[in-house]
This record gives sequence, structure tokens and C-alpha cells, in this order.
Amino acid sequence: MGNEGGGKRTEFLDSDISQKRGSEPLRRTSDGRSSESAPGRRFDPIFKRPGLRPRRAELLVSLPTLLWLGLFIVVPTLLVFVIAFRPANPYGGIGGGWTLDTIRALGTPNYLTIAWRTLWISLLTTALCLVLAVPSGYTIARASRKWRNRLLMLVVVPFWTSFLVRVFAWKSLLHPEGMIKKALEALGLVGPETTLLYHPAAVVLVMVYTFLPFTILPIYAAAEKFDYRLLEAARDLGARPFQAFRKIFLPGVRRGILTALLVVFIPALGSYIIPDLVGGPGSEMLGNKIAQRVFTDRNLPHASALSAVLVLAVLAPLIAVLVLQRKNKKADIIMGEAP
Amino acid sequence: MRRSRFPVVVTALVGVFFYLPIVLLVANSFNPARFSSRWQGFSLVWYARLFESPEIWQALKNTLIIALSVTAVSTVLGTMAAFALHRYGASRLQRVHYTLIYQPLVVPEILMGISLLMFFVAAGVPLGLFTIFLAHVTFCISYVAMTVLGRLQDFDFSMIEAARDLGASPWQSARKVLLPLLMPGIAAGALLAFTLSVDDFVITFFVAGPGSTTLPLRIYSMIKYGSPPMINALSTLLLAVTLTAVLVSQRLVNLRGGEARRPGT
Amino acid sequence: MNTEFLEFRGVSKRFGAVRAVDDVSLEIKKGEFFSLLGPSGCGKTTMLRLAAGFEEPDAGRVILDGRDITDLPPDKRKVNTIFQSYALFPHMTVRDNIAFGLAIAKRPKKDIRDEVDRMLALIRMAEQADKKPDLLSGGQKQRVAVARALINKPDVLLLDEPLAALDLKLRQKMLIELDLIHDEVGITFLYVTHDQAEAMSLSDRIAVMDGGRIEQVGAPAEIYESPRTSFVAAFIGDTNFLEGRVQDCPDREYCRLAIAGLPGILCFNDKSLQPGQPIYLSIRPEKVHISRERPEEEPQRNCLPAVIEDVIYLGANTKYWVRAGGYRIQVLRQHARYFLDERPLRWKDEAWIWWHADDGFMLDRFRKADEGLLAVPPRSVGEPLNGK
Repeated sequence: MGNEGGGKRTEFLDSDISQKRGSEPLRRTSDGRSSESAPGRRFDPIFKRPGLRPRRAELLVSLPTLLWLGLFIVVPTLLVFVIAFRPANPYGGIGGGWTLDTIRALGTPNYLTIAWRTLWISLLTTALCLVLAVPSGYTIARASRKWRNRLLMLVVVPFWTSFLVRVFAWKSLLHPEGMIKKALEALGLVGPETTLLYHPAAVVLVMVYTFLPFTILPIYAAAEKFDYRLLEAARDLGARPFQAFRKIFLPGVRRGILTALLVVFIPALGSYIIPDLVGGPGSEMLGNKIAQRVFTDRNLPHASALSAVLVLAVLAPLIAVLVLQRKNKKADIIMGEAP
Repeated sequence: MRRSRFPVVVTALVGVFFYLPIVLLVANSFNPARFSSRWQGFSLVWYARLFESPEIWQALKNTLIIALSVTAVSTVLGTMAAFALHRYGASRLQRVHYTLIYQPLVVPEILMGISLLMFFVAAGVPLGLFTIFLAHVTFCISYVAMTVLGRLQDFDFSMIEAARDLGASPWQSARKVLLPLLMPGIAAGALLAFTLSVDDFVITFFVAGPGSTTLPLRIYSMIKYGSPPMINALSTLLLAVTLTAVLVSQRLVNLRGGEARRPGT
Repeated sequence: MNTEFLEFRGVSKRFGAVRAVDDVSLEIKKGEFFSLLGPSGCGKTTMLRLAAGFEEPDAGRVILDGRDITDLPPDKRKVNTIFQSYALFPHMTVRDNIAFGLAIAKRPKKDIRDEVDRMLALIRMAEQADKKPDLLSGGQKQRVAVARALINKPDVLLLDEPLAALDLKLRQKMLIELDLIHDEVGITFLYVTHDQAEAMSLSDRIAVMDGGRIEQVGAPAEIYESPRTSFVAAFIGDTNFLEGRVQDCPDREYCRLAIAGLPGILCFNDKSLQPGQPIYLSIRPEKVHISRERPEEEPQRNCLPAVIEDVIYLGANTKYWVRAGGYRIQVLRQHARYFLDERPLRWKDEAWIWWHADDGFMLDRFRKADEGLLAVPPRSVGEPLNGK
């Protein structure tokens, strides 16, 4: 050590140093800064070399669909609201001028009955779907990998088959000469006069049937991400199985439950085929009325008004869920779950 | 920890609930009896009647024309939309874009049907195959976009960087690396669009005109006014076609699924 | 001849509000194995991507072999990257992956085949040539990634934490392989890592980075023995920090330091410090000796009485945490010779520690936060870590 060590140290001092904290860099090139590049100009590995303004590329790719959807979704929806304020043309078209008669006509008890019926049938369907979907989603999520895929396929496959076909299948089943009626008769549960069809119960049954796959999938997705050791911890701390399920599992999958809710309730509100085919006059829902106004009565403004009501009815739960989700996100952050 | 049997039981019941009607329907399509409760032996008589019916063939032709053209257009548009959403996702434009694409997935079909009907009436467009085509593309774009978007989000883009690093131009890297790996996802989206177009009833019902009957529309009128057993046969056929398309689509999505995934997903 | 080969001149890069790289200049010599070392978020990966062409600097230029490549896209640079995830093309075989760069360059088929075979032999994977990447192990994938890059004979090979995804034993093996490849191929390597052991064992020179800036550049030994800032001292290996002031400098080489609670401490003066200047004295634990008996007095030896507070037996060595003059000091003692009947130093024993004045180094720039990089055990449950 001693001098030798000192010599080595000074040698080190001369080695390349690029930066001293807080001081100017040792070397500053003569050309210094390059041409001012926009901050945050990203290199895009796919679309172009650096240089093409990302704005232009973005517009280019988005424009076709934006235009198409703007023309065929936004404009028609606005049109529906507009036409609700126009009188009906006696020939089945849209008359000129403006009127509030159509809107006022919405207040009649007939419509109110239908609206109420639509609401409670949809709520009941949603509730039943959830009750059936939660255990199913849980079972599939807890199954082994092999079984899980198979079960998922089994759930999804009916979903992809023609909706009309499935409703018709139920219509056949519930038909007075159909399987179920004959079976129930044989068991002595019903008499030969009772009809299973053309009743709100049939509507609810077939709606649950139709929407159940949609409900199972989001719950499964949430159940799959759930950490089941939390349930073990709850049991370890003394909770009974159902308590643990209620207090730990359900809140843990609440996002899936909310999605499932949306996925049933909103289409249920707009149901048309199911009440049309298996419901009777006593099970008319909003969708039927709209279709009737369009095709039977040829009264487009009335149909528009009803549709406008439906749009608003659909928006309400959507917004509610959005608000709830935002609150959930905040809760998750506070509890340290979300990033 | 012993897990309760209850959920499994419910799931099993749900399974039976799902498949009973379909199984019975298929079975009955081979049942020559008029009413499903009496089994009169295996027969293809209803299928024969189907083949002899010119209306059925016409409906089939219409359905296919629409479905194929819809698939082509919506796959291209949907894929472009997916790219835009993935690449520029944070911008305000894309958030509006996403909301628009999301609409057909959450809105009841009847609303879409009636609003499009109003639109065509107000614009003076005669209802027919063309309007059905326009309507179908509108909702198919969303499904294709969501399918492709899902695959894009799982895609490991450092592969594209690697291709550029090794000397490939942007176009070359897209052609040799991105598209081959994305193709299964795009194909799955296309099959989905095809299926949805073939099966659609409500929206088609509202925007169809005289002479532009599709298979679902024909099935509906048969349900209301026609002979039930032929509906069984037609439905079984329809079921077979869509099932095949869906199964192939699922295989495609899962086949290359593991390859292009980002590590850790 | 060692000339500057890859240069960064005043390079800056911002992502939104974050300055990933802040006015950095660096010169890498031809044929060098150069590492960028630092914690996550220090900007080292951004530097690599600037060299590869995946990012464009907001300011500054990147020069390769005398040519300004700042505006060139990655496909036009004679630079190749090994990605952290390897980024092998899953739909192509090993052979096609390796051949990719040559195929793009439109080389004749026969040439491609020959070169690929040669590469396969180099990485010893001729038998797996026709497999797809998903059938390969982590180490094999890495070798394919290396071959795919090297076959293009780049001017510089960029490696982005290539060993991060491998387990310990495999990592050790691949370290040696990388070293061998570098020796054999002779290309300039720019290596990015947060692992000091990797950087120190492989590199000719290291640049330690923090917060988008370079803290120090030098050979591994220089970085270790002569850190310039508290960050480098704390980030690389372990050290002790003592706060004080220069009292006077009796000769040119040594300074006496006034550190509260300790008698006069001598330290080698490598920074031309003046009396009155506040400094931090840093001594690495392995340079401090400990014994039961008081050592002999020697002119350049700093000697302190101490009480042992913690003992961590590690087999090959033992870590002691002692309290001397109110400070907690870490001592690392190697067991070169071990006597079974020797009475080991234990908790609460009194002992003496000493070190040579040449072994300490003074820092005139010190950041309190860097103390957080040291792993100091607390005295009792509930006490915050690094309490003095």
C-alpha cells in the first residue's frame, strides 16, 4: 500500500467519467443537442420508422370503423329519439311536424303494466341466473385443468347455437303434447288442461335458460382469479363453510357478479322473441310492444317512443354498474389489492 | 378441507338443463311422428321435405350470401379496429372508439334492430339483402374486434422488435412475424362473425324486406305458421353447421395460443 | 487498438414526466465487454434501446464506428439485440430463427445454410435445429437467441439482462458461456444487468447508473475499491459509512478526520481534500479486522475498541456487527484457518477492530437515501431498519 496505492488511485481519477452528480458533463459535443424532437415521440416497431406522426397513423386505422359505427349506431339511436317526437303517418311512415302526443301516450296504464312486467320478469331472471351461476362458476374454476376446459366448452357451446332454435326447443318441450307435460301428467302433478306455455313462468324459464351461459362465464373468470387460500384462512380463524363463502368468496368475485348482472339484466329488458314464442298475451313485454307497433300497427313514432324508454332503462343499470366499479376500484386500492 | 358437494350438484343440474332441450330437438328431427311425445322410429322424412322445399333453398342462399360478405367486410374492419384500440389505447379518440365498439355487445338486439329500421326508412333505403348486410356488419365488427384485441393484448411485441433488430423493415416484420401469429385469432374472429350472421334473428327481422328471407326468418315463420317437425330438422342442420364453425374457431384460438403469448400471461 | 467504438453523446430520453436517461455521455471501446449496472428504473435498458434504435433520444447523438446512427431505424443498424424474453419466433424452427437475419438480407441459400450450420455447431444445438422454440429449455432458447444475433456479425451485441429468467445454476453456466463467446468472437458487448456479480465477473468496464445518470465508469476493481459516490459505494457490495470532517492533512497523502465519538482517524487522501471539508468515510467490511486482543500500534492503522452486537455465521466467513464509539460497524472475517477449540467472539463480547488508513475512502458527495441500500439489522423488534 502506501505510495503504490496512491498512484493507482490517481490513475483511476483520469478514467472516463461521464457524469458527476450536479455538475456539468465532462464532455459536451460541439453539435450539442439534435434537432428538437417532440417529447414522447415513440418508435413504433410496426407502423413506420420514427418520423411518421403517430396521430396520422392512428386516424388512418381508426377512421373506417369510427365512420361505420358512427353512421350505423350513433345516428340511428339519435333518430329513434327524434322520431319519438313526430306524428305517425297514416300510411305507416313518419309524418311531418312535431308533437308530444306520442310521449304523452306512454303514460297510459297499459304501457305502465307492460313496463312493470318487463322489469320484474327481468329482475327475477337475473336473480335466478345468479343463484345458479355462482355455484357453477365456482365448480368450474375449482376443477382440474382437464375438466375445466371441457366444462367451459360445454357451457359455451349452447350459447353459440341459434338462439331461435333453442327457444323453439323449449316451446316443443312445454307444448301440451310435449315431453315435459306428458311426464308431469304421468307423475300426476298436473291435469290435462293446464298449459305450461303462454305464461310468464315459461318466459322466465326460457330466459334463464338463454342467459345462464352469459352469466356463468364472467363469474367463472372471477372465480378463477380468486385466491382460495383466503377461504382456508377464514376456516382457520373459525368461520363455518357458508360463512366463509358469504363473507370472503362473494366479495372476492364481486366484479364477476356485477358483469354477470349486466349481461343478463339488459338483454332481458329488451327480450322480444321469448315472450313472443312462449309467453302469451298476459306476458307481453316491452320488446313485443315495440315489434307490434312496427309491424302490426305500422306506427313508427310510437315504436320509437317505446324504444327511447328502453334505451333509458338500459342506460340506468349500465351507469350504476360503472359507478359501482369505480367505487370498488378505490376500495381495492385502499385495501391494497389493485395496483 | 372437504369441499361441499352442493356446487357440483347444482352444476350437474345446470348441465342437464342446458342440453335436454337440444338433445330432444335433435332426436325428434329423426322422429316421423307429428308430435314429439310419440317415438315412431328413426326416419329422415323431415329432412327430405326440407330438401324439396324451394323456400328453404332460397333462404339458405340468402343467408349464405349475406354471411360470407359480412364475414369478409367485418373481419377486415374489426381487425383494423383492434389494432387501433391496442396500439393507441390511451388516447381520447380510442376511448370513444372503444365505447362505440362496445355498444352492440351490451345493447339489446331489438334496440339495434329498430334504430336501424328507422334509419333506413328515414334515409329512404329499400329494405332487403343490402340492409341486412349493413346491419350484420355493424355488430360483427365488435365481435371480431374483441377477439383480435384479446390476442393482441397477449402478444409479445418484443418479437416484432427482434425482427426489426435483425434487419426486417416494418412491412417485412408485419408480414413474416405479426400476421402469421395473429392469423389464428383473426380466423377465430371471422368464424365468429360468420356464425353470428347465420344465426341472427331479431335485427334481421327488423331490417329485412320482402324476398330477403334468411334461414332464421324462415324458421320463425314456420314456428308461427308452419309444421313443427320440419323445424326440428332445419334447426338440427343449423345447429350442426354453427357447432362445427365454433369448434373449429375454438381450436384455432387455443392452437397457437401458447406460442405467441407474452411470458407470464 | 482500443478506439472509441460506440458513443453516446449527451443523450437524453424522457417518457412523459420521467427522465429515463438524463444527458448521458459514454464511450465504449471496440471489442470491450461493457456493462451497464444499476437498480430497476435507472435507465440502463433505455440506453440499450437507444443503441438498438427502438427509442429515439430527445437530445444527443449515438455514434457507431464514427457514423452517426441516431436517425437510423433498427433494421438499418449493424447492431443486434438479445432480448430478455429471447423473443424467438414461435412459428419458425430453430434453424429458421437463426437464419432470419440472413434471409432478410437476401443472402444466397447455400451461404445461409452453411452459416447456420456453423452457428448451430458453435452453440451445440445441431440436433435441435428443426424443433420449434416451445420445445426448448430456457438455456437452449438463450443460446438460439445468441446465435440468431451473432450470425449477422454485428458491430455491437446488445444484451438485455439475458440471464434474468434462468435459475441460479444455469445462470452460472451461461455466464461462463457468454464469456467464452465474447472471447472467441471478439465483438463489442454492451450488457445490461442489475446483478453486480454478473457485471463484475464478465466486464472489462462497468458503468454504474442511477436515476438516468451515470454514477461512475471504470474497471470492476476500480468501481469496487474506489467508488466516487455514496450510491456506488452502497450499491456495489457492502460498506460502512461514517460522517465527519477533515481535521487537517499532516502530509499530502493522509488526512486526519474528525468523526464524532472516535479518536483521530487517518485516511488516504485521494481527492485533494482541504481541512474543514465535510466528508463521509467509507470502509468495506472485509477490510476491517477484529480480534479479542488489542493489536499493535502502527502509524497508519486505525484502531477502535468495540462491543459485538450481532454475529452471523456464514461458514466461509462471519459477519460481525459491532458498536464502536456509538457507530454500528460491519466487519467481515474470513475463516482462513479455523481452530475448533478457539473461543469464538460472541454477542456482548468486547473486542478490537482496526483497518489500514489506505483501505478507507472518503466521499465528498453523499446521499442519505443511499444508506437505505445497506442491509443493517435493527437492534430490536420494531426498530426501523438502518437505525444508527
